[in-house]
Amino acid sequence: MAATTTGVYHGTYRADLALRHTKTEYVRLLLALAVVVALPFFASPYWLTVLNQIGIAVIGAIGLNILVGYTGQISLGQGGFLAVGAYTAGVVAVKTGASPLLGLLAAVVATAAVGAFFGLPALRLKGLYLAIATLASQQIIIWVITHWEWVTGGVDALVLDPVTLFGWTITGDRQWYWVIAGFAGLATIVGTNLFRTGVGRAFVAIRDQDVAAEVIGVDPARYKLLAFAVSSGFVGLAGALTAYWTQILTWERFTLDVSILYLAMIIVGGLGSISGAVYGAAFIIALPAYLQQVSLRFQGDSFFVRNLPALQLLIFGATIILFLLFEPKGMARIWQRMKDYFRLWPFRY
Amino acid sequence: MKLRTGIAAVVLALALTAGAQARDQGADAIKIGGIFALTGPTSDVGVPYSEGVKAYVTHINSRGGVKGRKIDFISQDYGYNVARGEQLYSQLKGSGVIAIQGWGTADTEALRTRVNADRIPYMSASYAATLINPSETPYNFFVSPSYSTQMKIALRFIAEQSGGRQTDVAVFHHDSPFGQSPLEDGKGYVQSKKLKLGYETYTMPAGATDYTGLLTQAQRQGARWIIIQNVSTPAALLARDIARLGLNMKIVCLNWCGDEIFVGLAGRAAAGHYTVQPWGTTGLKVPGLKAPSAWLAARGNSLGKASVHFTQGWYTMAVMLKGVERVLASGKPVDGPNLKAALESMPKFSTGGVTPDVKFTAQTHEGLHSSRIFQVIRGRFRQVKGYRIP
Repeated sequence: MAATTTGVYHGTYRADLALRHTKTEYVRLLLALAVVVALPFFASPYWLTVLNQIGIAVIGAIGLNILVGYTGQISLGQGGFLAVGAYTAGVVAVKTGASPLLGLLAAVVATAAVGAFFGLPALRLKGLYLAIATLASQQIIIWVITHWEWVTGGVDALVLDPVTLFGWTITGDRQWYWVIAGFAGLATIVGTNLFRTGVGRAFVAIRDQDVAAEVIGVDPARYKLLAFAVSSGFVGLAGALTAYWTQILTWERFTLDVSILYLAMIIVGGLGSISGAVYGAAFIIALPAYLQQVSLRFQGDSFFVRNLPALQLLIFGATIILFLLFEPKGMARIWQRMKDYFRLWPFRY
Repeated sequence: MKLRTGIAAVVLALALTAGAQARDQGADAIKIGGIFALTGPTSDVGVPYSEGVKAYVTHINSRGGVKGRKIDFISQDYGYNVARGEQLYSQLKGSGVIAIQGWGTADTEALRTRVNADRIPYMSASYAATLINPSETPYNFFVSPSYSTQMKIALRFIAEQSGGRQTDVAVFHHDSPFGQSPLEDGKGYVQSKKLKLGYETYTMPAGATDYTGLLTQAQRQGARWIIIQNVSTPAALLARDIARLGLNMKIVCLNWCGDEIFVGLAGRAAAGHYTVQPWGTTGLKVPGLKAPSAWLAARGNSLGKASVHFTQGWYTMAVMLKGVERVLASGKPVDGPNLKAALESMPKFSTGGVTPDVKFTAQTHEGLHSSRIFQVIRGRFRQVKGYRIP
């Protein structure tokens, strides 16, 4: 009788560095790709909008997870950074009429720069203190957007024309799905590979023990700022896509609530995990959308119907609390356990 | 393990209810959507407004619908959250609504490019002057004078009250597109009409519980009048602070703070303050309040409790359905473009004295152009001036 392997073991460094170790993983990847390709053909217009919002949230959540989950620098400035990306892309499109690709690039670079600037307090502060410092960045960015009128249009909405790329005008949620899904896929690949490089490992070292990291030759100041810049670059991309997709920007889209929601995504999905960011973004966006869909079935006048909005909030909140109680390491960990269970079956461990 | 089984059961129950169908107004029903704020920062006025809109639909359906066609009104809470407003809009568009009753600045601004691309008339309770020009926002409508028009009415009223003598006005506003909407137009009005008014604007910080600092600044300016572009709760706090500090200042509320909530929260401190309120008050003795009053009475409620925002929602829906009725009468298909044309060409619509007559044209989608002025006397708003135009 052949021996059953009890785990995945690597005999070479090359194998250790590989992204995928087993055939099953390739099959799963193909299945996931098939689902992503098939989804827009089955989704209703409502779910297409939700899917596009999920795609954008995936990019933003990966960015935030690089900073919070991998580097251990907490940030409440996510909404503000999204706004920087969105308004940079919006202003480039409206004022210069340049190619959207240039707008995306400008958004990524500008947000990375702003992110690195607001990351400066991280050189002195940690934990809750840093959270409050980044909270200030959120407020400052929104204040600048609403008061810097000749650039951002102030409190009035910034309206963009439909995006035209190589003669193709992207219209409708279905066409946008392919664009957003493409960028989300790209962000996932870049995010995953980042942690196979020295830079990514330096981030993790700082998270695990910053003094020890410095001892082994990681410059904390440089890598902390780099983490803020890289993370904000992703977030800027998400913001720019929001601008091009919705074609209208107001500051009310980028409030503190958004920052909190993104933190919820990576906590529910799994801190320090790229796939966790994907699951979390999908879950946090889709759950209220699903509850909304359910409650649309009930109309009329009853106690239940009158209190539906409150019930939706209640279920949403309760789900997150239950998640944290039963699986504080998030959905990525649940998925890992499920895989282990089947791989080792019929043995328990 | 038991708890997990319980959770699984709840999830399963939710999944099953998603498939259940519990609504049907008949195959030829006309679908209209609603995007409301029943939770979130604007829910205090958003809830009565949405109830007014929905009440009018049940009222008209109980009388056989619009020209025999029932109205299927599909509404949802978006919690003043732009992303959820967008989801909801896709949902409504997908279910084939011909028009939408929206709510505030957040949803109206975020959706204005989409409703115009999809040609779905969108009536909002956001009265920003940026929405009235059909060449820019052809499918946005609102039944009210814009915030700018209300501001001008307030400034003209103040100039009249001071009898041509120089006086100072402080404008206190919410820090948002809603709050800042009428500021520039107000300033321009003072200059173009050469009113002898000092005009300064002040931002009311969100969530503040004490306005002593702001009032001190206004006092330094020499302000005798304060125009408030904010909702009722902060306005009531401000009235209380004015009374506490013993300042000689009179408030003029624009429409979102001149209501029963303001009077109730400010108590005695509300006495003597004014409002430019196109929607009147629930205490008016006019025929137009009979139907909503009877509808509420049949459900053990009253206009006084439901507040002026109930009648606001009621008649906003009435105007929209009058447009639907005109499309049906013309024999054309009931869709967005025809509803838009019907609203633009509609003769004056009477709300039975609740507001001045409503009139849209192809040049402006601002439904009202004048407003009455009310003052708090013996614990409630009473009319002191008839319809005023800027």
